[in-house]
Amino acid sequence: MEMVSRSRKMIHYALLTIFSIVMVFPLVWMFLSALKTPEEIFAVPLDWLPSNPQWGNFAGALELAPFGLYIFNSTFTAIVIVFFQIILSSMIAYALTQMTFKGKKLLFNSILITYMLPAAATYVPSYVIVAKLGLLDTLAGIIISNIASVFTIFLMRQAFMQVPKEMIEAARSEGANDFAVLRKVMMPMCKSSIFTVGLISFVQMYNNYLWPSLIVNSQENYLITVGLNRFFTTSGTFADQWPLIMAASVLAVLPLLILFVLLQKWFIKGISDSGVKG
Amino acid sequence: MNRFGNAGKLLFFVGIPMIPLVVFWFVPMAVSVWLSFTNWDYISPTFDYVGIENYASALTSADFYNALKNTIFFGFWTILPTIIFGLLLALLLRKGLKGLTGFKAFLFAPWITPMVAMSIVWSWIYEPDVGLLNQILGWFNLRQPSWLTDSEMAMWAIIIVTVWKNAGWAMLFYADALSKIPDELYEVGNIEGAGWLQRMKTIVIPLVSPTTLFLIIISAIDSIQAYDQIQVMTQGGPAGSTRTLLYLYYQMAFEQFNMGQATALATLIVILTGVLALIMFYGSKRWVHY
Repeated sequence: MEMVSRSRKMIHYALLTIFSIVMVFPLVWMFLSALKTPEEIFAVPLDWLPSNPQWGNFAGALELAPFGLYIFNSTFTAIVIVFFQIILSSMIAYALTQMTFKGKKLLFNSILITYMLPAAATYVPSYVIVAKLGLLDTLAGIIISNIASVFTIFLMRQAFMQVPKEMIEAARSEGANDFAVLRKVMMPMCKSSIFTVGLISFVQMYNNYLWPSLIVNSQENYLITVGLNRFFTTSGTFADQWPLIMAASVLAVLPLLILFVLLQKWFIKGISDSGVKG
Repeated sequence: MNRFGNAGKLLFFVGIPMIPLVVFWFVPMAVSVWLSFTNWDYISPTFDYVGIENYASALTSADFYNALKNTIFFGFWTILPTIIFGLLLALLLRKGLKGLTGFKAFLFAPWITPMVAMSIVWSWIYEPDVGLLNQILGWFNLRQPSWLTDSEMAMWAIIIVTVWKNAGWAMLFYADALSKIPDELYEVGNIEGAGWLQRMKTIVIPLVSPTTLFLIIISAIDSIQAYDQIQVMTQGGPAGSTRTLLYLYYQMAFEQFNMGQATALATLIVILTGVLALIMFYGSKRWVHY
């Protein structure tokens, strides 16, 4: 280990502290703004802290739009999507790693190419397909159109390749068929990878905006991203609206921040290990 | 295992997962290319084939080149700072300091948040008269632009948000790559009296170049798809200064319902992405040290 002088260390700490504050500050500012009165939020020079935290702003925002319902819709669709993504991806990843068949390479390459393509390029026909299925303006439409995830297939395949051959052969020699090998060997062996993939996919689905905003029209089906932006564009930028807009943003971000605080090690380890798209 | 059993198993393990993949990826990709040769407007049940007219009109329109220019500008100025900032943060994290996990979590936190919510928060920070950013700029007597309504500044505003959100993500990959550089390499540099810059140039940058390549490719593909922050903060304006190719595509398809032209544009975006990925993949042999 290189000898690092104390002063060098102090510089590192100082810079890291400054950068950390800068990165987190927009979130802090959102919280502070959500607790201010309209006068405070528009004060020049800045009022850093609310003199009397306006917790009522959250109730005020909830009165104007059902953010609780939006958050439920987002969480619910994201969980269902991740569940199906994991099941379907584990099946195809099993085939890609444990079976030999014609066109396997072609299949994997087409999945790899799809990983690189901008999803938005499929939106016009996909929209028509969702409409033909009669699933426009339903949560089912959002779920069904998102359960194919090239990203999870890709990462599950990588995880399955790490499972030792001896374990699979041992299970087979004890008479286990493919379903049993997948369920009793592959899935348990790759538990932590599967959990990380699911976690990241959950965050991406919760944060997804463009595609869901095309599918749903009625308020009871809004996802939080759609509902929040609709709230933002309809409430205008008058002085007394900003604290409520900030309170609504806090409500939208809070579930993810709690998840992150609880599971930050999984996120941080998982992302550098897996090579996740941004 | 007999042949029928094998085929049945394949049908199960590959066939079922392929259904959504085919329905919502492969078929739409192909249909999108097909629609790009028509003049379909979504509402009418019929349409005509118009040959390459949609491509011709895209490639001769000022809107297209303006959006292309914006896309390249946005891509370049988000990728470069994200990568430099990510590497610098990772370098700071390196040397056996206390509380590294805490710092990592703080620096990475923006990535987790929904872009829509954070774009709204940043719209507030960018507010020209009372917003946080301009008030801070005011302390130093710097120019206080009206960020989101000034066509010179709007793209920079979008870029700042995007870099803010992604720098911590790039940092994680660099931190991982740096942790694999043996300490001896650093020491050699030290004994030979190599300065910090010299060491960066001869040891660090070459050794992390595979990570850099990976981050550039992923960020480039990602920047082509940027939408949420543009939709929330500027809707492509002012005067089209933040309208990227993807945003133009969205407007053509879902605001004007000009499906033929929109899908032609989508095809061009796909080609652009593909070419970009290929160039970087093969070009990388010259400067990436594996």
